[in-house]
Amino acid sequence: MNSIQKKILVLVIAVLFIMVAIWTSLTYYNQKMQNQYNEILERYLIMNEVTSESQQIVAALNNYLIEPSESNLKELNLNKNQILRTKERVSKFRNVDNDYALTNYENLIDSLVEITTQSVLARTGQQTEDYLSAFSEASRISKYISEMTLTLIDMELKTYDRFYRSIIDSSGELRMLGIWLLLLITFVVLLLAHWFAKRITRPVNQLTQAAHELSLGRFDLKIEVDSNDEISFLAKMFDKMRININNYLSEIKQKAQLEHELQESKLLLQESQLRSLQSQINPHFLYNTLDILSKKAYLEGSEETSDLLVSVAGLLRYNLNNLENSAALFEEVQVLKKYIDIQHARFTDRLHFHLEVDESCLDIKIPRLTLQPIVENAVIYAVEPDENGGSIYFRVKNEVDYVRIEIEDNGPGMTEEKVKQILHMNSKEVGGHFTGIGINNVVKRLSLFYSCNDVFEIESKVGIGTKVILKIPKNNEG
Amino acid sequence: MRKLVIINLSFVSVVLFYFTVVSGSKVFKSDWELPRATEQVNTKHRLVLITQELETPFWDKVANAAMEQAKKESASLEVWGSYGNNREDFLKKIEIAIYSQVDGIIVQGLDTDEFKALTKIKAASYGIPIITVANDVPMGDSLRKSYVGSDQYLAGKMIGEQLLADMGTAGEVAIMIDKQYQYFQKQRMEGIKDALKEYPNIQIVVIEMQDAREQVMATTKDVLNQNPNIDAFIAINADILAAMVQEIESRSQIERYYIYSCDDDYESISLLNQGKINGIIEQSPEEMGTKSVELILKWLNNEKVPLDLNGYLTDIQVVKASNVR
Repeated sequence: MNSIQKKILVLVIAVLFIMVAIWTSLTYYNQKMQNQYNEILERYLIMNEVTSESQQIVAALNNYLIEPSESNLKELNLNKNQILRTKERVSKFRNVDNDYALTNYENLIDSLVEITTQSVLARTGQQTEDYLSAFSEASRISKYISEMTLTLIDMELKTYDRFYRSIIDSSGELRMLGIWLLLLITFVVLLLAHWFAKRITRPVNQLTQAAHELSLGRFDLKIEVDSNDEISFLAKMFDKMRININNYLSEIKQKAQLEHELQESKLLLQESQLRSLQSQINPHFLYNTLDILSKKAYLEGSEETSDLLVSVAGLLRYNLNNLENSAALFEEVQVLKKYIDIQHARFTDRLHFHLEVDESCLDIKIPRLTLQPIVENAVIYAVEPDENGGSIYFRVKNEVDYVRIEIEDNGPGMTEEKVKQILHMNSKEVGGHFTGIGINNVVKRLSLFYSCNDVFEIESKVGIGTKVILKIPKNNEG
Repeated sequence: MRKLVIINLSFVSVVLFYFTVVSGSKVFKSDWELPRATEQVNTKHRLVLITQELETPFWDKVANAAMEQAKKESASLEVWGSYGNNREDFLKKIEIAIYSQVDGIIVQGLDTDEFKALTKIKAASYGIPIITVANDVPMGDSLRKSYVGSDQYLAGKMIGEQLLADMGTAGEVAIMIDKQYQYFQKQRMEGIKDALKEYPNIQIVVIEMQDAREQVMATTKDVLNQNPNIDAFIAINADILAAMVQEIESRSQIERYYIYSCDDDYESISLLNQGKINGIIEQSPEEMGTKSVELILKWLNNEKVPLDLNGYLTDIQVVKASNVR
């Protein structure tokens, strides 16, 4: 996980690392310079030591010559050893420039030691002349040593002149480097801090923006945060929440729609039932009465009237059944025939009804009272107004995956607007219907029954006629 | 806009980075190279050339030639000495050289007891070979290994012959000599005298003097006063010459006199160029330098033992005023 904490830590570590690197290198540099200084200074000090030690030798020699005691001799030897040791150290200072002078210097020291020894020997041998001259020589050599020391130091100074200057120069350079470094680091750290801050705050801003959008109710915008820290996690969760809310919302909408549709179908059903109930004013009484009338007519020799009454009674019976049940197409067709019989009695020759039924399709289920209202409509609009009557064609055809039912008339037809109006209008004021059920009701029931909208079609042309087509799906169990 | 800002920022950071790197490299690359340390003691022969007259044209030539020769033979040579005939300093330098146990000393001979004592006793006791150069000190006095320089007797003789050629075989000649009578001066004088002794008409006056300037002038004045007929001056020692010429000039026309110098130092040459003196002896300082180093190294390498005790003579010639003009 790449957390904000980690980011901050990285920034701090980076800055710290730079600081440490600079500190280390500067310390190293300083140490180096210090060491060089010390080394040079040490050379001077050691050379100076040689001078003072040579003087000490001379002093010790003098003491010994005056008073040749054991302790003085010891002192003298001590000094001699000391100066020889120092000589060893001096010999390490040899370089190209001072090679000659340093050799001379060392030899001078040797000469001093030698002369001292000679002097001591002469003193032991009581050769006064010799030891005194050796002493004076020793003191001269000592003097030369101090001079040579100065010469050497002088030479050192000349040799190191360039070196000192470069040290002075480079300390100037160091100051410049410090300034540049300060500027660079300030700049870089500012940039880094800005960048880090941005990396941390930008996702937060994006999230805030997204939250704002959500609060405005826009659930369809994807929440995108281009980072990989906690904020991104938060954003992902937020996005998930948004998606969930969005899903819930659409679900609720769908449910509402479904409920609405359900309500509608219920209403339609109620309406149909109401209509059918209205038309059932004491239906059994009517039915029985019609039966009696039919028998009476038959007995009186009016067979035609008797048949008509039977048809009316059959139609009534069918209507009295529960509308919610579906019926076979066969039953519907029978009812239709009865209805047509009745209408024939009314219009006699003016109504020409042609029936073409594919018998194989008659067992398909369709809702009750769907065909009769359509044919009734055709009778009302195509046959009734015309003095010469009209023709109505009823066809049932077997298609591949549906049964095609056509009801065609040769009436005045309708305009397209009218067709639309019929299909979408849910008016209830349709007068003159036998069952009181309008086309509109049929359309809706069909579409609810089959849960699809293309079951019902109207083809109509003004002056030619109207054709209603029902496409009943075969695989429907309803 | 954003792009512009980014470009600017990166430019600034690149510039800063560049200067920081440049500055850093300057700091950390600055060469603190100390002179290379030489671990071993140098096994080269350490020679020293010591003269009384540092930084005179003559000795500069000797020193340069010697240096060159030493470099050629990869020996190390240093030139020490005193300025302006400071004898005390000169002797001290010799003493230091001896105590420093150099491998060989090439020294301008000085005919004094101190010098002899140093070379004879001290140097010998340390086993340091000494070659005299330009000015000799007799072998018996100095225990020098050899001498490299002009034949001073010949130089005197040549000056004498030149005088004869210029002046003729009659006249008064004043020979001006340093009171200290160094060995080379004596030789020069003998040469002059030998050249002139066959001509009885030439009278020689030998005048001794201190080489301090006032002394020289005073002495010259005396000579001119006492010998009004004097025709020629010969300065055995070039140190005398300048003061002498000045004094003569102040008295009368200098062209009257024949004046000669046995040295070719700076003053002699300039006087010769001015036509104030008639001739000088020109020596070969380069040859002296080269030869002396060569010889002492041969001695040290045991190539040529023993060296010619009488010395190795270098070329001399007389330069006349007429030649210069």
